[in-house]
Amino acid sequence: MRERMADPILTVPTGSGTAFERWRERHLRILMLAPTLLLLAGLTLFPTVYMLTAAVQNVSPDPDVPREFVGLGNFARMLTDPELHVAVRNTVVFTVVAVTLEFLLGLGLALLFDKYIRRLNFLKTILLVPMMIPPIAVALTWKLIYQPQFGVLNELMFRLGLPSQAWAGDVNLAMATIIAADVWEWTPFIFLLMLAGLASLPSEPYEAAQVDGASAWRQFWDLTVPFLKPVIAIALLLRIMDALRLFDLVFILTVGGPAGATETLSLYIFKVAFTFVDIGYAAAISLVVLFATVGFSTWFIKRMRLAD
Amino acid sequence: MATRAWHRTREAIFRMLAYAVMAIALFITTFPVYWLATNSFKLDIDIFAVPPVWFEFSPTLKHYEAAFIGQPFLIYALNSLIIAVATTIVSLIFGTMAGYALARFHYPGRWRYQISFWILSTRMMPPIVTIIPLFIFFNFFNLLNTRLAVVVAYTAFNLPFVTWMMKSYFQDLPPELEEAAMVDGDTRWGAFVRVALPLARPGIVATAIFSLILAWNEFLLALILTQTDRSMTLPVGISGRVTQYTTHWGEISAAGFLASLPIIIFALIVQRHLVRGMSFGAVKG
Repeated sequence: MRERMADPILTVPTGSGTAFERWRERHLRILMLAPTLLLLAGLTLFPTVYMLTAAVQNVSPDPDVPREFVGLGNFARMLTDPELHVAVRNTVVFTVVAVTLEFLLGLGLALLFDKYIRRLNFLKTILLVPMMIPPIAVALTWKLIYQPQFGVLNELMFRLGLPSQAWAGDVNLAMATIIAADVWEWTPFIFLLMLAGLASLPSEPYEAAQVDGASAWRQFWDLTVPFLKPVIAIALLLRIMDALRLFDLVFILTVGGPAGATETLSLYIFKVAFTFVDIGYAAAISLVVLFATVGFSTWFIKRMRLAD
Repeated sequence: MATRAWHRTREAIFRMLAYAVMAIALFITTFPVYWLATNSFKLDIDIFAVPPVWFEFSPTLKHYEAAFIGQPFLIYALNSLIIAVATTIVSLIFGTMAGYALARFHYPGRWRYQISFWILSTRMMPPIVTIIPLFIFFNFFNLLNTRLAVVVAYTAFNLPFVTWMMKSYFQDLPPELEEAAMVDGDTRWGAFVRVALPLARPGIVATAIFSLILAWNEFLLALILTQTDRSMTLPVGISGRVTQYTTHWGEISAAGFLASLPIIIFALIVQRHLVRGMSFGAVKG
């Protein structure tokens, strides 16, 4: 997201052409931006305004019942809602553990392959598959693997002489099964980005370090890490933003269960809005989530100087 | 001499280790996909077999018939296709113009940065946060359970991506060719249409394929906006069958594998652009 030096081709209104062409040329910049800006403004401003109004009201599922103003009541409820607290904790645990594992595995594999395996194209092609196929297909595949009666994983446990498990149906293992499926799906993403970063490293500093007798470890920390920092920052930002909104995998594998062990924020908002039909409260939670995620990403982008 | 020999041995060990790790990574990556694919061709008796049937089973197309002829998965697939194509066309027309304007025109102060950043920030909105208002919005216009509603929502969600991708491709093009066209009397718009667009064709194709994949794979918004058989997309249709009490594993495996197949082919086509696509144009791979 680092911006290059802008190329300043200025619009030079030409004297020739029809009146329409002259008008178009004069306003070309805004005309080309307008469709995108208008659509995005419409589809972000309307939801935000709607939620700001709904969040301070009690909205009944029955459209004939008038809305009742409750002030900050919906926000106060969030403080004493144990199910919400569980959802927040699950989302944070999932994000931290899954993204950390994906990052360490992806970076480790990229370093190893960059050094020792030259012909990577075939490998890249294979690694594309988990992150490109529909997340629903990923969830379905892992549901088959985790299936307690005829799933492959319990067969593996049996061969290893271990007791079979309920996996996604076990309170203690459910979160781990979601994390494992997510790591399978997204480690290739970190791997490919790191590989691209490693391929673009300049060779001169390494030659200089070699001459100075710097160890491989020192070279990694003093050269590779600083050079890779922008790529690492982008990869982490995209993964964290995606992990915080986890929905598809839990919806298929556990529906938030058992006993709320895998309930994420997205799933909880979905339930409050469409199962309990408590729109005011769902809007209040959504607003907090919105400000938290946009605040975090803006802070992260500014801190990492990604958009300059 | 001794140290050099040791060094060579160590290199050889690391190399062997790298190959071993690669073999394991490849196995872990491919096995689940293999399992989904083979289950879709297995008879029920083989799907439920304990121990599992790894290789030797008599392949059958029964589940494909059941899913796409007996069940409305064919309609879901068509819905997904129409929605993905329409979304891609609209978001590419809008996003290519916006990306070009952001890559080429002059802006006062930090406006280029501010506009680009704002466009990107709309993408930071978690979809769950917007589904309630979108549901109310489309309900108000009587557009729930229509493909049009999904296309509008998807276009808004894909536009930041398309704009940033196209901006990064246009920034890679030398501006001299457009300048030359303008010196020859072409208008600014003419230079964009006749010079910049043809030069950016590989980028446009890659961006279009990414947009198709994003729209084809999306689940949460479609789940809210399409509830009827006539409007439902493939992921929503599959999920509806998975969560039922009796799961027809063969049929949903068939639908899941068939939903993945075009994506795998598309992914191979955009392989070269993949890193750039996955990072919104930020990392050029």
